[in-house]
Amino acid sequence: MTTTIGLEIHVQLATRTKMFCGCGTAFGDAPNTHVCPVCLGLPGALPTLNAEAVRLATRIATALGCTVHEVSEFSRKNYFYPDLPKSYQITQFDRPIATGGSLPIVTERGARSVRLTRAHIEEDAGKSMHAADITLGGETLVDFNRCGMPLIEIVTEPDMQSGDEAYEFLRNLRRLVRWLGVSSGDMEKGAMRCDVNVSVSPDPAKRGTKVEIKNLNSFRSVKRAIDYEEQRQAQCLGDCTPIMTETRHFDEVQGTTTAMRSKEASNDYRYFPEPDLPLLQLDPAELASLRAQMPELPWEVQSRFERDLSLSPYDAALLTEERSTAEFFQQAIAFYDNPKKVASYMGTEVAKLLNERGKTLTETQLTPATLAGLLMMVEHNAISNTASKDVLPLLMDTGTTPMEAVRSLGLEQISDTSAIEGFAREVIAENVIQVEQFRGGKEAVLGFLVGQLMKKSKGKANPKLAGDTLRRLLK
Amino acid sequence: MSSELPRTLEHYRHAVRAHELSAEEYLDETRQLIERGDPQVKAFLHLRLDTARSDAQASNPSSPLAGAPIAVKDNIMMAGERCTCGSRILEHYVAPYSATAVQLLLAAGAVVPGKTNLDEFAMGSSTENSAFFPTHNPADPTRVPGGSSGGSTAAVAAGFALGAIGSDTGGSVRQPAAFCGVVGFKPTYGLVSRYGLVAFGSSLDCIGPIARSVRDAAIMMNVMAAHDPKDATSVKRPHVDFEAALQPTLAGKRVGLIRELQGLDVQPEIAAAMDMARKAAVKSGASIVDVSVPHILSALPVYYIIAPAECSANLGRFDGVRYGLHIDGRDMTETYSRTRDAGFGTEVKRRILIGAFVLSAGYYDAYYRKASSVRQLIADELDTALQSADVLLTPTTPTTAFRIGAVTDPLEMYKADVFTIPANLAGAPAVSFPAGKDAADLPIGLQLMGPRWSDAELLSSANVLFTALGGES
Amino acid sequence: MAMIIDKETLEHVASLARLEITAEEEGPLLGDLERILGYVAQLSSVDTSAIVSKRPAMTELRPDEPCEGLTREEGLGGAPAMYDGFVVVQNVMGAEDE
Repeated sequence: MTTTIGLEIHVQLATRTKMFCGCGTAFGDAPNTHVCPVCLGLPGALPTLNAEAVRLATRIATALGCTVHEVSEFSRKNYFYPDLPKSYQITQFDRPIATGGSLPIVTERGARSVRLTRAHIEEDAGKSMHAADITLGGETLVDFNRCGMPLIEIVTEPDMQSGDEAYEFLRNLRRLVRWLGVSSGDMEKGAMRCDVNVSVSPDPAKRGTKVEIKNLNSFRSVKRAIDYEEQRQAQCLGDCTPIMTETRHFDEVQGTTTAMRSKEASNDYRYFPEPDLPLLQLDPAELASLRAQMPELPWEVQSRFERDLSLSPYDAALLTEERSTAEFFQQAIAFYDNPKKVASYMGTEVAKLLNERGKTLTETQLTPATLAGLLMMVEHNAISNTASKDVLPLLMDTGTTPMEAVRSLGLEQISDTSAIEGFAREVIAENVIQVEQFRGGKEAVLGFLVGQLMKKSKGKANPKLAGDTLRRLLK
Repeated sequence: MSSELPRTLEHYRHAVRAHELSAEEYLDETRQLIERGDPQVKAFLHLRLDTARSDAQASNPSSPLAGAPIAVKDNIMMAGERCTCGSRILEHYVAPYSATAVQLLLAAGAVVPGKTNLDEFAMGSSTENSAFFPTHNPADPTRVPGGSSGGSTAAVAAGFALGAIGSDTGGSVRQPAAFCGVVGFKPTYGLVSRYGLVAFGSSLDCIGPIARSVRDAAIMMNVMAAHDPKDATSVKRPHVDFEAALQPTLAGKRVGLIRELQGLDVQPEIAAAMDMARKAAVKSGASIVDVSVPHILSALPVYYIIAPAECSANLGRFDGVRYGLHIDGRDMTETYSRTRDAGFGTEVKRRILIGAFVLSAGYYDAYYRKASSVRQLIADELDTALQSADVLLTPTTPTTAFRIGAVTDPLEMYKADVFTIPANLAGAPAVSFPAGKDAADLPIGLQLMGPRWSDAELLSSANVLFTALGGES
Repeated sequence: MAMIIDKETLEHVASLARLEITAEEEGPLLGDLERILGYVAQLSSVDTSAIVSKRPAMTELRPDEPCEGLTREEGLGGAPAMYDGFVVVQNVMGAEDE
């Protein structure tokens, strides 16, 4: 069975105003409070194109390796729906701003490149809430705050073959749009939406019947829906039930797809060029400058970390989740040239504290310099690794330096041999059973005894010295 | 009308600034005329005379329009006033904002006595398609004023306003101006903002001034012609003083006659008026040239594909969800259909259906795409013709005003737009000016067209002929 | 001669445009539309093979600066049904795609 998957992703562009009017784009405000004649489709209103939306769209299209067309055209897509005030959506049909391009993905199957068909800009519709979500019976509530929000629609070639690949595609796309500051990519806030086309065929040379799936609210739902649909279509093929070309709705709760109420013979959108907007002409000099100023892309940085810095794939991926993290890391290793240690520490201790605080790295007071400083103190045995874990919160929550933090916590590492010997003797005296076990040949028990010594020293003892001292005394 | 009272904007303004007359006095006189005459003419859909009086009192004589009454066609939004577009679907709709053109007029001291009648959604050539009532031609109340801006032209002709604005998509300012014996100007597309004009044919619609003289139209253009960032099709142009640009002579100008229009059936008096205009042009120093616009007769079918196509999309927003008429059906689809069927008149429905048809799958290429190409062809041919001529002279209409109810065949009604439509397709400026009367004492209008952006020169040429042929009636 | 627009096509187009055509309206409309479409079809004989579209381009785009819009009351004061700030319509789940 071959599965063929294509995605249609809508990404909300991070502008201050809507695509065709000056209404604000803030999320979550009271319904119908960011509205004007244009986005409400009042009589006589006219659209005006947002310069920043074009800039952001061009940036993402360039990063995706698309051919960005200097001249593109807007079109009207005509259909009736309560959340579409003009009863047409302004989009780009015949002449989109970009075509081609690709996005790399890595799954268990390996590294691949998913080709893109095109990318174009358009306006969003309003938000409808159906009776299932709210208490009114048989009615739908519409909020036009979202209506007119700027979107870039990215259409992939049907290059993906599993739910996993689709999932990875979406993750990488989200990483990219955040990396470039083009969008928050939050599916939960509707900043990224995805429709899926799936077909299953027993013959790899022939494509099966294409089924569209809508109402996917998370990357996980996308994967689940594809997995379910794969099974369903395979089953249909198995019992010779015809597979209908249709649109299906994904049920979050059941994890299944169901046929939507059949539409009248496929909607004829009657696309035609938007007369209210002249052609969009991009400045070739600006395009060239955009290309020249494109930062290193996340997967390029990720590869570089693996290749040049010998980081593990796991660490490299983690550090390139967000651009700010990667930049932080790079600045930190400029101070302290031990990529592995810095990566490991960021991936464990730093990540843990960020999690606890519900903060991102840039929202804390930790700087590449202070992190590097802390790790250098550990390297030079000024403090123990364990102790550093107590220092880190202070660096994160206040703007203090590692030196000051260590001093204020009194965590200077004890490397004084006589002090350590003193602790060692106490530990030996208090742990008779383990001492016997060690003397009996159980090497691993030393770790326990070192731990006890560290406890006694309130984590300040130099662990290597502690181990050596104990070993010497236990001979 | 009182012989002491100024009959043009130009004279009104002079009188007010010379303290011979106040804006309220003028409005009071105008009000009397309206109250006496409009029950028969029915130029207005809504009047706001009390408010207008306060506006007049507050007006500034030094402002460009000095408190002059200027009527506004009821498909142009004016905040706080109803905007019905002559349709039941917007019968009770109140505009929450003003069109840019209206804002400019108000800021320049215009006082609006009311909103004028029109063919529903500007679709029609007689104002008979208004859902409410037809307007009657002041020259002969049994006849139509023309359309779709028939209310505006009738108001100006009858003295209910010193000027008016209308919209011109295929001739809707020029044709009624011709029928009513006033001046109607369609500027170059993009010169006057469309923001706040309820869209019919977006690539064709223009707001234009209607006045008793060409000079008055120029005075209004000085107020209305401005780049508007709210209209993406509005073009930034160097500043022009349309009034100052009016020259008294056509010396050195080439007046073109379009070969392919010569064989068309035109009322004899109108042909005679064309002759007189030709002679007047020559007398003023112009030369007459014969030009060819080979596909000009294709302009009509092009228009009757493109305008309906655009209108079918533009009128989609009238669905009863956010404003306007709302009639419940069993489900949303039925609600839409019932609301729209009850709200729209027959001509509007016809055009929406044609529009949806020519855009639909399987027909788009043969109809819409083809029409767009022929449109470009005609525009190119007009450009070429306007290299050998500075202006083109044609009749505005093949006949003078017909009787109310006389033309019932839509196709027959459409075909009368033959002279006006080309300018809309090309986005070129065109003006209709009165050129005498026919045997039944009905006004005759002639049209001058020019290259895009030649609006000032065009008005100047029109003014020469207008003056030569009798001037303001 | 084959009709350009038959009853079925009219019904289809009417449904696309959300216009309910009554039985009385149908006959006359079909007649009118047939004649009008027949008239405009003459364009097929015009040679447009050499025509290049000359649509102008936008000269400046709108800066991304918020500006004052309408209050809910100003924008939606005429809506037939509102609830808690939302516009209310009949349930449309599954009837149309987005």
